[in-house]
Amino acid sequence: MSQIKPELVAAIIRDAGSQIIGRTRLQKIAYLLDVVGYDDGFHFSYRHFGPYSEGVADSAMMGTLLGFIAEEKRQAEWGGIYSIYSVDAQPDHSVPTGRRELACQANKSDTVVLELAATAIFLSEDYNDPWFETARRKPLKIKSGRLVKAKSLLADFRMIEVPSPLPDFD
Amino acid sequence: MRASEHQRVRDPVHNLIVFDTDQQLERMLWEVLCSRPFQRLRRVKQLGFSELVYPGATHTRFGHSVGVFHTARELMDIVRERAGVDRLEAREKIALAAALLHDVGHGPFSHAFEDVGKELGIKLADHEQMSDQLIRKSEISEILSGYGSGFANDVADTVKKDGPQTVHNAVVSSQFDADRLDYMRRDRLMTGSQQSAIDFEWLLANLEIADLPTGVDEKGVGDVPTFVIGPKAIPAAEAYVLGNFQLYQAVYFHKTTRGAEKLFTELLIRLFKLVQDESSRKVGLENTHALVQFANSPDDIENVIKLDDTVVWGALSQLRESEDQLISSFAERLQDRKLFKCIDIRALVHHEIDPVNFGKSEHIELIDECCAKVLKKLNELKERKMVSNGIPAILTDKESRSPYKTGGRSHGPLERINVRTEGGALIDLKQRSDVVAALRDFKLARAYYDPEYPEVAEDIRSIVKEEVRHVTDKT
Repeated sequence: MSQIKPELVAAIIRDAGSQIIGRTRLQKIAYLLDVVGYDDGFHFSYRHFGPYSEGVADSAMMGTLLGFIAEEKRQAEWGGIYSIYSVDAQPDHSVPTGRRELACQANKSDTVVLELAATAIFLSEDYNDPWFETARRKPLKIKSGRLVKAKSLLADFRMIEVPSPLPDFD
Repeated sequence: MRASEHQRVRDPVHNLIVFDTDQQLERMLWEVLCSRPFQRLRRVKQLGFSELVYPGATHTRFGHSVGVFHTARELMDIVRERAGVDRLEAREKIALAAALLHDVGHGPFSHAFEDVGKELGIKLADHEQMSDQLIRKSEISEILSGYGSGFANDVADTVKKDGPQTVHNAVVSSQFDADRLDYMRRDRLMTGSQQSAIDFEWLLANLEIADLPTGVDEKGVGDVPTFVIGPKAIPAAEAYVLGNFQLYQAVYFHKTTRGAEKLFTELLIRLFKLVQDESSRKVGLENTHALVQFANSPDDIENVIKLDDTVVWGALSQLRESEDQLISSFAERLQDRKLFKCIDIRALVHHEIDPVNFGKSEHIELIDECCAKVLKKLNELKERKMVSNGIPAILTDKESRSPYKTGGRSHGPLERINVRTEGGALIDLKQRSDVVAALRDFKLARAYYDPEYPEVAEDIRSIVKEEVRHVTDKT
């Protein structure tokens, strides 16, 4: 149960601008914050939708049940259901600027592009060319120029001042 | 070659399974089957502690994996027939190898071992990570390289649902994948359950292929080919969904099995922490024991390969003598099947909030909220209330299962059973089956307590009553 921390997921949503659209986007923002040293203590592993933490998923669910987080579910045009998470909280100015900037920027990005960028970061631990590996694993998702956009997004993320810089593998 | 020169396996579900060693692929897969990492699966039971409830359920991941391979071959015949192809395509070979290897990374007591890994951040306790490593970087990858240097990576990708998405991937992962088609029949047979029968032949005879949209959050990313069923198989698909759902309730989520898993998880967490804190002498095992070696170097794949159910069962006699009271107590409980008692929190809450089971959504939301609050309180109590020397008096459990198999929980078209109508449209089975449409997620919330401390049961019931009062007062 130690991975269930609804307060911390609520804080991630708050720092991302009080609303996050989509479970994948929430996961990838939590992952990015973890990688750059804003450690919330969640463990991430690789899944076919990129880095994933069951702790984040369970905490979000528990957070909605306990009233920390509001979750609205909507039907996407492609047929799936997606969640909109929100918290009723003002920005916390004691939170490091880098954390808020990174969370907000990731939150504004395209969710598929964000998934590709987060996946490349995750794979950079084991692969010399994580972009190649990402493209190999996700041939459907890299279509429409998304891989180039993911590289650009990651370059933007690297401009943000954070405790541990994102890995540079370009 | 005479038939007797092929490799043959007798199987309780499929009867005769033949590996045609005249074919390069099956010859290679037989070699994989004979490898050390795969042979380890003979010592990992498919259903872990379920044999404490269903004594016949001693079948292994090995038998299941061979059964999945066999079922995958049957599904491939359908793929070829529907696609009008008569030769073995490259993607088919990859998918057949993936079917055989999909479970190769399971540790002892599978999902309970994964819970230990989640608690302690042990990467290779996750069977998906371990399978990936074994397929890409072990003697299995060396054998698979007989089909070219990229073959092992392609197989690992397919197990992970990565790489090009052709209909062959649906054989390994879909609503009608070989895994589910084997485990449902095997687990039913071996547990002795008389429910959950499926009309296997009819389902396969009515499988069709269709492209379905997929996406990430609000964004669509394209179509993926997968299996759907024809309209004549609606009753069979209905039974398939219901049967799977029943297996979860009767077998996989059985309160006694889950209770044993909870004790096992607590025991291993304590054991690994003691070893990592250099207090391994308290554990009661030699430093050369596989569990101690794993605790010392959990990222070493060799140490994971040494682990299986027999290593754990075999260690219990020594662990009973451990200096650590939690380890000795829980080892004794597991070995003698003297488990904690279960209180079904959800049943109690449900009875208070919706006694005649109207099942209205507002009732369900209240029950969900109340169960979450009770479990939170119980977990806080668990930290405070130790019966002696760090042995918790309460353990909690929470799980849920959707009637359909869900991968990303987007509930998109790939996470439904799709029916091709007489008019050619694709619709959710729920639109044709009132029974399936009426199914709600199965959710469990349970507390386990040491029966030597009946006052703990009273504490649990008091917390339930208090939280029920809070949520109902609010409304």
